[in-house]
Amino acid sequence: MSMQVKERSMPNGVILELTGDLTYANREQFKTAVESVRQRGFRHLVLDMSNVRFIDSSGLGLLALVAQQFKLTQGRLSLLKPQAYVREIMALANIPSLIPMYENEQDAAAAHAKAA
Amino acid sequence: MKSSHPQVDTTGKSEAVKVRADTESPTVLIVDDDPVARLAMVGRIKRLGYRVLQAGDGKTGLELLRRERPELTILDWMMPDLDGPSFCEQVRDDPEVGSSQILMMTSNDHPEHIAEGLARGADDFLSKAASRQEIIARVQAGIRTALLIRQLERVTDELRSKQALLDEELQSAARYVESLLPMPGIVLPGVELAHLYRPSLALGGDLYNVVRCGDDAVGLYLLDASGHGVSSALRSAALATFLREDSLLRYVGSRDPGAIVTEANRLFPLTERGDYFTILVARLDLRFQRVLYATAGHSGACIHRRGGTMEWFAPPSLPLGFAPGQLYRTVEIGFLPGDRLYVMSDGLYEVPNSTGELWGKERLGFALKEAAGRPLQDALSHAVAEAARWSGQNCFPDDVAVMGIELKA
Repeated sequence: MSMQVKERSMPNGVILELTGDLTYANREQFKTAVESVRQRGFRHLVLDMSNVRFIDSSGLGLLALVAQQFKLTQGRLSLLKPQAYVREIMALANIPSLIPMYENEQDAAAAHAKAA
Repeated sequence: MKSSHPQVDTTGKSEAVKVRADTESPTVLIVDDDPVARLAMVGRIKRLGYRVLQAGDGKTGLELLRRERPELTILDWMMPDLDGPSFCEQVRDDPEVGSSQILMMTSNDHPEHIAEGLARGADDFLSKAASRQEIIARVQAGIRTALLIRQLERVTDELRSKQALLDEELQSAARYVESLLPMPGIVLPGVELAHLYRPSLALGGDLYNVVRCGDDAVGLYLLDASGHGVSSALRSAALATFLREDSLLRYVGSRDPGAIVTEANRLFPLTERGDYFTILVARLDLRFQRVLYATAGHSGACIHRRGGTMEWFAPPSLPLGFAPGQLYRTVEIGFLPGDRLYVMSDGLYEVPNSTGELWGKERLGFALKEAAGRPLQDALSHAVAEAARWSGQNCFPDDVAVMGIELKA
């Protein structure tokens, strides 16, 4: 299963809407999309996970990597509305302790504004 | 032999023939029993700058074709003994020369006639009444095709031999990885070890080991590198080296599982591709009948109690490299005579069936319980066979590694 990435803007950041699977097979596509956001200097990246059906171990690694990259430049990665199954896999790897999750983008934007 | 150009040849075709296509003008073979027509064609083709060979009958023509491998053969349909279409059939049946380009000449250009010739192996047709321009154009088209086919064959040969080399390298690396695995059997008096490893590719990214520490303790780990293949296996081997007894004493200065995993987290950050490990490090302490363990994102471990219950190790924890500076804690759990400890990679229980549903820990636990009365190694084989049955396939999508340790009652 492939992945589509759609970008839209939000206050002080960018939202990438991911559709499909966040897996080994789609990692280059994901990295390219994130890299483009980083290069334009955005400090807050929100990944809209509501249309991600599956995440594998490589996908978890990519999320951790992106979180580290944003942290290095005083930026922030947030996740939006992961589906129950994806949420479960992320919980097993303790991702919630690493990357904040929100149910709507207002909360994500507000938390970032507060942190900044 | 014209060239000393080194080339790998796996098909048995002579090197000289293959290299010649690059360095000399192409060769055209003309097979026609009519000497006047043949000589006329020889003259025309020579004027185009090609090297020309000729034969007055089909049999001699076939011998020349096999020996000289011309880029193009211009063949008369009507010949005594071996006619054009039969000639084509013999060429196509011979794998050594089957891709030769053949241009058949005929004075009969009825569509059914041409169809028959094509069906029997000719590549193109030339009417005996064809103009000079048409002859030139068809000959050049034939040569063009021949050169492309030769190039394709050459590249395919090179790829095949390179692939064979790579496969051999992988097999040799796989043998090395297997040599790192522990010997099954009695590790300490009363402590039995069994294990089973099924890499998804020739070379797996899972590794585990069990080491006796003194008279009353056993150290063990199971690590699972994300991704597959060569890079995973190399990273695994590096981590396995760090986990050797002597290295642990030097770099960690302790056998405490939490301290080992914390140091491993420091030494093995995420790679630039987002690759990482999950790991479980444990220490079996016979004196106090307990297991001390620490895990980094690895939840595949359980104790099957003598009484029949199954206890999973499940504290969620970050995989190695996810959070620099993370402190991993040692957890203690009782381990009594008659208990079995199982440690496995997630490749064993995250096996999808045809509808995508995963086998899961619950079914795995059930399979292990089913085999409770059987020897430890059989229990592992049973669990792996059940996982394979669930997937409906003989090979697993991910590496599968599982080990069992039993404390004899």
